[in-house]
Amino acid sequence: MKVIRLGSKIIQTLVRDRIYYPGKLMVDTFGMVARCGVLLLLYWYVFRLNNGMVNGTTFLIAAWSMFLYFAFSVLRLRGISKEIMRDIRSGTVEILLCKPISYLSYRMWWQVGTGLYSFLVISLVGVIALAFIVGIPETMSARIFIPTLVIVVLLGVLLSLFLYTAVGLLAFWIEDIDPVFWVVDKTVMILGGSYLPVALFPDLMYKFAVWSPFGASQFVTHTVYETWGVEWMMKVGIQVFWVVAFLVITLLLFAKARKKVSVNGG
Amino acid sequence: MDQDSIVVSSLSKSFSFPIKNPSVGWIKNLFNPEIKEITAVDDISFSVKSGERVAFIGPNGAGKSTTIKMLTGILFPTSGEIRVLGLDPSNDRKKLAYKIGTVFGQRSQLLPNLPLTDSLEFFGVMYDLSDREIRHRIKELSELFDLGSFIDQPVRKLSLGQRMRAEVVVSLIHKPKIIFLDEPTIGLDVVAKKSFRDLLLKINKEENTTIFLTSHDVGDIESLCERTIVINHGTLVKDLPTQELARTFVKEKNIDITPNTTFSVFPELPEGLKYAVKSKDKITVIIDISKIGVQEALRKLLDVFMVDDINVYDTDLETIIRNIYESNPAR
Repeated sequence: MKVIRLGSKIIQTLVRDRIYYPGKLMVDTFGMVARCGVLLLLYWYVFRLNNGMVNGTTFLIAAWSMFLYFAFSVLRLRGISKEIMRDIRSGTVEILLCKPISYLSYRMWWQVGTGLYSFLVISLVGVIALAFIVGIPETMSARIFIPTLVIVVLLGVLLSLFLYTAVGLLAFWIEDIDPVFWVVDKTVMILGGSYLPVALFPDLMYKFAVWSPFGASQFVTHTVYETWGVEWMMKVGIQVFWVVAFLVITLLLFAKARKKVSVNGG
Repeated sequence: MDQDSIVVSSLSKSFSFPIKNPSVGWIKNLFNPEIKEITAVDDISFSVKSGERVAFIGPNGAGKSTTIKMLTGILFPTSGEIRVLGLDPSNDRKKLAYKIGTVFGQRSQLLPNLPLTDSLEFFGVMYDLSDREIRHRIKELSELFDLGSFIDQPVRKLSLGQRMRAEVVVSLIHKPKIIFLDEPTIGLDVVAKKSFRDLLLKINKEENTTIFLTSHDVGDIESLCERTIVINHGTLVKDLPTQELARTFVKEKNIDITPNTTFSVFPELPEGLKYAVKSKDKITVIIDISKIGVQEALRKLLDVFMVDDINVYDTDLETIIRNIYESNPAR
């Protein structure tokens, strides 16, 4: 109960912080429009060259899949790695360890709170804009779409947080986690469908995207595919598996890391 | 002030870290590096009574911060035992956190973009206070510490002095029984320091909060703490009332002389006396009291100088502390 109260207080505080400073929302919106918009224009052109269909996928599906990827990325969950590294380097971790909270859950709530406002606003505006511009695919009107989307988003949030937290905790052992972060982040981006929707992947790469934690953290992009109706149970199962696996890894890493805390000063 | 708030017995803490050996290859340095071990705290024991105001001092690298971080549960001791309010900080970190407050001078715990009230509410929730308790406590602290003029300002717009006040107030939101302060007055001007010290004395008086403070500022020690523990190279050097610190370690006294004659060449002084200041209007002489008594020193000086005024006074606490540090050279 206390965790939920603290979590909602963190989110409330950060949303208020974002409302106080609307510039952040504008930057997020601009980033989303720039990245997603340019890619959508390129895909529209490529799909038109191929008579509107690539690898059995229509532009409509590819556009929504890509939008879901970018909307999810606005949550900025990947930022938890850098936050943890900053805490360790600056010694802020010491301040948080003096509080009656779990450092990990505090950081995770904080990360969710950081991106939630932008995520809600941009997703809402984006859905309306995209529905007007390209239309809505049939798969999104299926009865299971909304409930499975919610499940997959929640599991994706948890998996992303655990995955990137594990990367961040490495800062207790290695000075600079940037190279590790870079590799993990780019793998997530590629296998999640940032550059190319997963439906257009070659077979082997598609399998890797489905079975690896990197791709599984972005299953939200699969929810608009034609095959979602038959595959969603398996994909939710894969997500649950990786969530549990990375929860255990994160907790073990943190238990070891706690003993590695050192002190700046005398 | 009878109960022990803090009991530390035979406490030690070592850190080990790999060091690069330039005479061997990078593969050996990467996979089998030499390990260097540093003992930051070495077998120290002390206790602090409830409501006491204790200065825990020492030069840089003495082991102050390491000790304070073991007392608050951030670091695990290598050996020895700690009880803070009856709890073991390593095993009962969260339970202990409800009973203690911490202020680290160089690090802020406040929410920078939002008004101070938001930080207070935020930490109130963190310490599991009800909304009503939070409102009541904010009002109480605001009145007690006169926060009215800046409580609604975003924290990043506060002056350093106001921010340090705010840091202490935030750490008091849950009425802690002990407050640990690690170099809290760093960077504050004299007025802000005075106001900060008054605030701590008020907490101690009004709420009987035990104060455990590390500082390099002698003013903090003199005006705040009734007891001083000196640590150097990880070992406890002295533990005594602050007033006795001067009495025990004074090896020198100072004499200010206002001469009524001017000197072009200052006369030689007898053994045990040396000049600290030689000017036309003022001469300061330091007496080494292990070599010469004050009475004899005065007699000899009056034989040498014709004086308008003379003033004998103790060495300041800063010099005394420096003498203590220097009498415990590096191991």
